[in-house]
Amino acid sequence: METLLGIKGPDFVMLAADTTHARSIIVMKEDQNKIHKVSDSLLISTVGESGDTEQFTEFISKNIALYKMRNGYDLSPRESAHFTRKNLAEYLRSRTPYQVFMFVAGYDPNAGPELTFIDYLANALPVNYAGHGYGAIFASSIYDRYWHPNITQAEAYDVFKKCIAEIQKRLVVNLKNFTVAVVDKDGVRDLEPISAASLAA
Amino acid sequence: MATERYSFSLTTFSPSGKLVQLEYALAAVSGGAPSVGIIASNGVVIATENKHKSPLYEQHSVHRVEMIYNHIGMVYSGMGPDYRLLVKQARKIAQTYYLTYKEPIPVSQLVQRVATLMQEYTQSGGVRPFGVSLLICGWDNDRPYLYQSDPSGAYFAWKATAMGKNAVNGKTFLEKRYSEDLELDDAVHTAILTLKEGFEGKMTADNIEIGICDQNGFQRLDPASIKDYLASIP
Amino acid sequence: MSILAYNGGCVVAMRGKDCVAIATDHRFGIQAQTISTDFKKVFHIGPRMFLGLTGLQTDILTVRDRLMFRKNLYETRENREMCPKPFSAMMSSFLYEHRFGPYFIEPVVAGLDPKTMEPFICNMDLIGCPNAPDDFVVAGTCAEQLYGMCETLWKPDLEPDQLFEVIAQSIVNAFDRDAMSGWGATVYIIEKDKITERTLKTRMD
Repeated sequence: METLLGIKGPDFVMLAADTTHARSIIVMKEDQNKIHKVSDSLLISTVGESGDTEQFTEFISKNIALYKMRNGYDLSPRESAHFTRKNLAEYLRSRTPYQVFMFVAGYDPNAGPELTFIDYLANALPVNYAGHGYGAIFASSIYDRYWHPNITQAEAYDVFKKCIAEIQKRLVVNLKNFTVAVVDKDGVRDLEPISAASLAA
Repeated sequence: MATERYSFSLTTFSPSGKLVQLEYALAAVSGGAPSVGIIASNGVVIATENKHKSPLYEQHSVHRVEMIYNHIGMVYSGMGPDYRLLVKQARKIAQTYYLTYKEPIPVSQLVQRVATLMQEYTQSGGVRPFGVSLLICGWDNDRPYLYQSDPSGAYFAWKATAMGKNAVNGKTFLEKRYSEDLELDDAVHTAILTLKEGFEGKMTADNIEIGICDQNGFQRLDPASIKDYLASIP
Repeated sequence: MSILAYNGGCVVAMRGKDCVAIATDHRFGIQAQTISTDFKKVFHIGPRMFLGLTGLQTDILTVRDRLMFRKNLYETRENREMCPKPFSAMMSSFLYEHRFGPYFIEPVVAGLDPKTMEPFICNMDLIGCPNAPDDFVVAGTCAEQLYGMCETLWKPDLEPDQLFEVIAQSIVNAFDRDAMSGWGATVYIIEKDKITERTLKTRMD
C-alpha cells in the first residue's frame, strides 16, 4: 500500500515516501514520516508491517549511533547497508522476522553517494533508482525514461513529481502527501513535500 | 554458585609465574616409557618401549603406536589412559577435516589442532592437563614430518628426538648419529639403538613397538619384521 | 512459484583445454519485475577460482559471505591457497548443515587447481549434493535451455577463444528464451596465466 521512492545522482541521493498510515481499510493518520535521519549523512526510509518498520529502523539507527560513540567516526553508507542487510537476513530465519522494505541512502566523502535497495527477504542491491510498494510499479517506467547519470537535484525532484502525479492518478490507494529528503556532501536535508495540492499549483 | 566456586582451573599461576601443574605433567612424561622419532630421507619412524610388569600380561593387547589417518601415526611418553583420549580425538579431528574438505588433513593441521586441545586442558575448569607428550609423524607435500606436542600445548617440529625416561641420553645419542640422508631402514635401526641406550633387560620384538610412515602411508611394524631388524643388530 | 525462481538469473560453467569458463547474466528482479540489470551472480573468490550462485538473491549474498568467511579462515589457518576441490567439498558440507532449512541457491564453482592447473567445474543443489562432470554445469531459471545449448555447442578440448564463443552463445541463446534471466551477461575465461572478463551485449527486453 505504502510507497517509497529513491533516486541516486552523481553527488546526491534523494528519497521520497508517502505519509499515510493505514490499517486495513482505515487511514489512521496522514502525516507519518517514513524517512529517518540516522546520522549526518545517512537516511533510511522504511515501509512494511507497521510495528516492524519502527522497531527495526530504531534498532539499526541506534546501533549505528553506538558505533559512532564507540569509535568516534561514522559507519560509511556501504557498511551501514551491509549491517542492515545482515541483521534483516538473520532475523528472516529466526522466529521473529521483520517485514520491512527499505532504502539506505547516504553520502560518503570518498565513495560518493550510495543508494541501497533492501526488501523484507534481505535481498539487497546498490541501485541508481528504485521504489518499494505499489506506487513503485508506476514509478519504474518514469525512472527509465527520465533518469540519466548526470541528473541534478532539481531534475530528480521533478522526476519524483512525475511519479507521484502518476501514482495519484492511477493507483486506487489514496496517497495524498509525500515527504522528500536529500543527502549530499552537505548532509541530510528535507525538501518541500510533494502533495496533490502542490502538484495542482 | 557452589559449582562456580569449584570450577576454577586447577592450572593456576604460582607467585613466581610458573604453572606447577604443567611441570608435574612434564614430570609424568619424563618418568614414562621412552619413545623416539627420526625423520629419514624417504620416510619417518617412531618407536617406543612396551614393557610389561609381569609375564602374565597378554602381549600385544594394548598398543602404544597408533595410526591416526592413512598418512599419520602417533606415539607417546607418559600416561596411557590420557593417550587413548588424545588418539580418539586426533582420529576424530582427521575424519572431520576429511568430511569437510574431502582432502586428507595436513600433518601440520592435525598437530596444531591436537596441541590446541591439549592447551584447552590447561585453562579449563574441572580438568587437569594431559600427562603425556606426543610424537606425531606423517607424510604429506611429498616429505616426512615429525612433531612433538607437550601437555602445555606447545609443539615443535623435529628431525629426530627422544622423550620420556632417558630422553637426555637419547637426544645426545641422536645428535651424534643423525644424518639428513638417512634411509628409512637405517632410521629404524638408529631408533632401535636409541631405545637400547638405557634399555633394562633384553630387547625383543615383543617389548618394543615401531611405526613407520612413508609415501605409502603409516603402518605399525608387526613383531616378525621388528625381529628382522633386531637380528641385524649385534 | 518456486522460491529459487523469485529473483531470476542463471550461471553456466564449462571446461576447455587447460582452461575453464564461467558466465552469468545481469538481471535482478522481484518475480516478473526487473529491478536492476547489473547484478552479476559470479564472484572472483581466488586467484583462479570463481563462484557462481543463482537463486534467492538474499541467500546468494549470505552464502557468498559465509563461504568467504570459511575460506579466509582456512587460508590463514593453513597458510596456503584453497583449491577448488576442497572449496566445493566445504560448500557441500556447509549447505548440508542447513538440510532442514536450506539456503535457496544453486551454486557453481569453476577454477583451476593451483598446483596441477587441472580444470575443475562443479555444481550442487541447494542442500549440497555435488556434481563435478568433465563437460559443463548449469544453474538458474533457464537451466533447461542452457542444457540444450551446451549439449549442442560444447565439445572436448576447446581452446580459450573457442570456449568463450561456445559459452557466450550458450548463455545468450538460453536466456533469450527465459523471461527471468538475461539483460546483459559477463563471461570469465580462466587460464593458467590470465583471466579474461568480457561483457556481452544482449537483448535488453
